[in-house]
This record gives sequence, structure tokens and C-alpha cells, in this order.
Amino acid sequence: MLKKVIKYSLGIIVICFVAYNAVYIKKLNEVKVTENKLFDAKAYAHNYLYKKLPVALNNTIQIDKLLAHIRTNAANAFKTYSHGQNIGDVGYFLVGGQGQIVNIDDNDVLVKSDNGLVIKLAIQYIFGNAVRDAPGLISMNEFNNTMDMNNISGEINKIIKNEIVPPFIVKAKKGDKVAYKGCIELNQSALKLQNIEVIPVFLKIEN
Amino acid sequence: MSAQPIYLKVAKYQSLIALFILCLALSFLSDKFLTASNTWNVLRQISVNICISVGMTFVVLTAGIDLSVGSVLALSGAITAGLLKSGIELPGSNLFIGFTISGAILAGMVTGSLLGCFNGWIITKFKVPPFVATLGMLTIARGLTMLWTKGYPISGLGNHFAYIGSGWLLGIPVLVWIACITVVTAVFISNKTIFGRYIFAIGGNENASRLSGININKVKLMVYSIAGLLAAVGGIMVASRLDSAQPNAGMGYELDSIAAVVIGGTSLSGGRGSIPGTVLGAVIIGVLNNGLVLLDVSPFWQQVVKGLVILLAVIVDKANSKVE
Repeated sequence: MLKKVIKYSLGIIVICFVAYNAVYIKKLNEVKVTENKLFDAKAYAHNYLYKKLPVALNNTIQIDKLLAHIRTNAANAFKTYSHGQNIGDVGYFLVGGQGQIVNIDDNDVLVKSDNGLVIKLAIQYIFGNAVRDAPGLISMNEFNNTMDMNNISGEINKIIKNEIVPPFIVKAKKGDKVAYKGCIELNQSALKLQNIEVIPVFLKIEN
Repeated sequence: MSAQPIYLKVAKYQSLIALFILCLALSFLSDKFLTASNTWNVLRQISVNICISVGMTFVVLTAGIDLSVGSVLALSGAITAGLLKSGIELPGSNLFIGFTISGAILAGMVTGSLLGCFNGWIITKFKVPPFVATLGMLTIARGLTMLWTKGYPISGLGNHFAYIGSGWLLGIPVLVWIACITVVTAVFISNKTIFGRYIFAIGGNENASRLSGININKVKLMVYSIAGLLAAVGGIMVASRLDSAQPNAGMGYELDSIAAVVIGGTSLSGGRGSIPGTVLGAVIIGVLNNGLVLLDVSPFWQQVVKGLVILLAVIVDKANSKVE
């Protein structure tokens, strides 16, 4: 009988000890005050595009220079100019360039530079993480979960489509000279250097 | 005393021989295989499968099967991560219950054990075949995981929790330590305790065991609870390794663990097998996976090869049984 009492008492002590060290209790309103509010991806994206990114745009590389570098030494070009959230083969680049508009359709604006390079400025289907990741300004560690980070890309792409592209498109016409800055995605193991699509973040007609 | 035929002597060590041949072949085919970093990488990868497979071995030894371990792993990992990250809010009483790392881990392990216990209860109480009962739990636990996580990963669990998955202790990855402790405990239980003997007895002949006074239902309940508990340990290991709990974690893990058990020589009809054999089976699966990746074999072919290896293991096991 005594043995059983000792056994159960020890068991209860262990459970109490574990439970005491397992949880802590606070007032909910105190926790709510200190806790971060729900992540606002839209506000974050707005601040990123209009406050943080313009500073980074001073450091864009000219797209023709980048492509020449990639053709001679892709690994070094990726190491020097690309950013990304993973260690895979995909790299995002912040690029700039000038040229003449040679075609405008519902999806893209084709721009040909003086040296003959033709790129596509995306105006309709703006997807992916290029603008979020290319400047290397956002780290995954800033966020509590990957969903928040993915939502930023969605909001950035929406702002580009709704606020950056439309003022340009209403004025742009074939033959206009245009200066652009934007982001591109390249896969080092499957390089495709023709008809590169640029997600624009800055567009200016220079006639 | 008659001498054992040479075939049986070889058959006893067939998994070890297979592993040796596999390692030898891979070391010739890939210069990266026999490197320290790759070896640690393989050991870390197989640690999770070893934990799950140990639980599966107990289940298979009783002539049962547990198809729910992958989903239980996901739910337990998600519960641990969710409690650690967000705790429990009780708005009615204006209380917030926060969980320390040990508390969250404990909650995850209790979750796994309870789900396993539920499996055992369904099997013993309603005489539902283990295949069907655990198939049901596979879906239930996956659904609960989706509900708990709302379909999104729970990440950013903190450096202390991530240490379990990526840290080192005395020059060995923490995950490997956990697997070792699990194996040693399981070997002790299976070889040195009455409960271990009961497991083998039930798998060997359930009716005879019942007639000899073994409480079959109680033993089975405990066996499935252990399988659930070890799946939960696997879930915590995975969540810690990735620093996030993924709602689709553990998909297909049940097949890997069954493969490890079968390759390790445990008979699917129960009563015969061993924990060290299962560990060897898990190592073979792990080395095979690693080797196929190093040799740049397409993931589709990898599945084909793994399936063929499992089939081969079962065929060899059947042949051994006949000879014996």
C-alpha cells in the first residue's frame, strides 16, 4: 500500500513539474498588445515599392552588360548580380535599359535597344517573385511564416499592374524611346537569353 | 546439435550484405558518396524514418500494420509548431496559455500517442482490420492537420527549436542522437521486457497467446500508441529540421517505414523480426535514396527502384521462410 502511495505521489510530482515547465499563462490583452498585429502585405508592398526600391534602383545593371557577362561567365554573373531566397539555380536580377518601342500588344511591350537587343516589358501577366527578390532587400527571416512572404509578391505585382504600368501604357506608342528599370528571372541551368521578360518597376518615355 | 546450412547463415545477414554491396557500388559510382558531409547528411535523413520504423516494427510484429504514421507525423508536428508559435487563446476568460519548447513537444507527443491509441482501440474493440482502421486515421489525421494549419506552413519556430533538427551534440547531429535513443529503448523493450515477449507471442500465434493469458487488446493498444508516439517524435524532428510544420509533411512516410521493416527482415505476418533489422532496412532505404540522387537518377525512376527493392526483399523473405 505504502509502495503504491509513493509511486503515485512521485508520478503526480513529475506531472506537476513537467506541466509547470511546459506552459505559462498570461492575460490575453497583455499578449495582444505586445504581439505583432496581423501582417499587412499590401502596406508592406507599398512601402517597399515606393520607399525602399527607388534607392536600390540606383544600382541596376544595364541588361545588355548583364547578358554579355552571363554569356562569358554565367556562374560569376549570377554570383555578382543575382539575388534569391533559395540555393537553387534560379536567380533574380535588377536591370535597367533603354530602347525604342517596336510593338505593343495586350500582354507585352517589345523594346529594342540601339545594339539590337529586344526585351519584353510585361504589362498584363505580372507574376512571380522577381521584384520582391531581385534587389535582395527582403530576407525570409523577417517574417513569421512563408505565407506572409508570398503575399508580398502578390501585392507587389498587383501594384505594378495597377499603378506603374497604366500611366505608361496610356502614353506609349510604337517608335517612342523608353527608359526602363525592372526585374528578370533567369535559370542558370536552363539559360534562355532571348526575348527576356522584364517586370517593370520604373518606366519613362523619353521623346 | 546439427550445423546450420550455409544458406541460412548467409540469409541471417542478407540485409547487412545488401547494404555493404550497395555502399561499395555507390562509392565507385560517385566520388561524393563516401564523404563525411554526405554520411552525416544520410544519417540525419534516415533518423526520422528510423523512429517511425521502430514503431512500425512493433505493429508489424503483432501481425498488424499502421498506414497512418505519415499523417500522425504531420499532425503532431503541426500541433507542436502551432502551440509553440501561437499558444492557446481563451478570449472568454482573457487568458493566454503559452507553451515552452518542452511543453509544445510534450503536446505533440501526447497527440501522436492518443491517435495511435485510438487506432488500437478501433482495432481491438470493433475488430476492424488494422489496414482499414489506420487507413481511416490516415485521412482523419491529414484532415485535422489541414484544419489546424489552415493549409499553410507554420514557420519561424525559433533557433532553440531548430537546434533539434540542425544542431550537433558531442560531434553528432541531435537527430541521430534521438534515433539512437529510440533504437536502444526499443531493443530493450523487445528483448528484455515481458511486454516485448508478448508482442512476439501475439504475432506468432494470437490464439495461443490469448489462451496462455496474455491480454491481447491491452498489448495491441500499447503497440499502436507507441507507433503513434514515435510518429509524433518523427513529426517534431521534421518540423525542427525545416523550422516549419508543413501541412503535407510525412506524405509517403508510411511506405518508407514499411519498406524499412520488410527489408529489415520483419515478417509481415508477424512474430518474427528485430529492431536492429529495421534500422538496417532504414539505412538501406536512406543510402539507396541518397545514391540515386547522387547518380542524378530521375525521381520517377527512384520510385520504381525503391518499389523493386521492397518487392525483392519480400520475395527473399518468403524464400527464407520456406527454407527454414
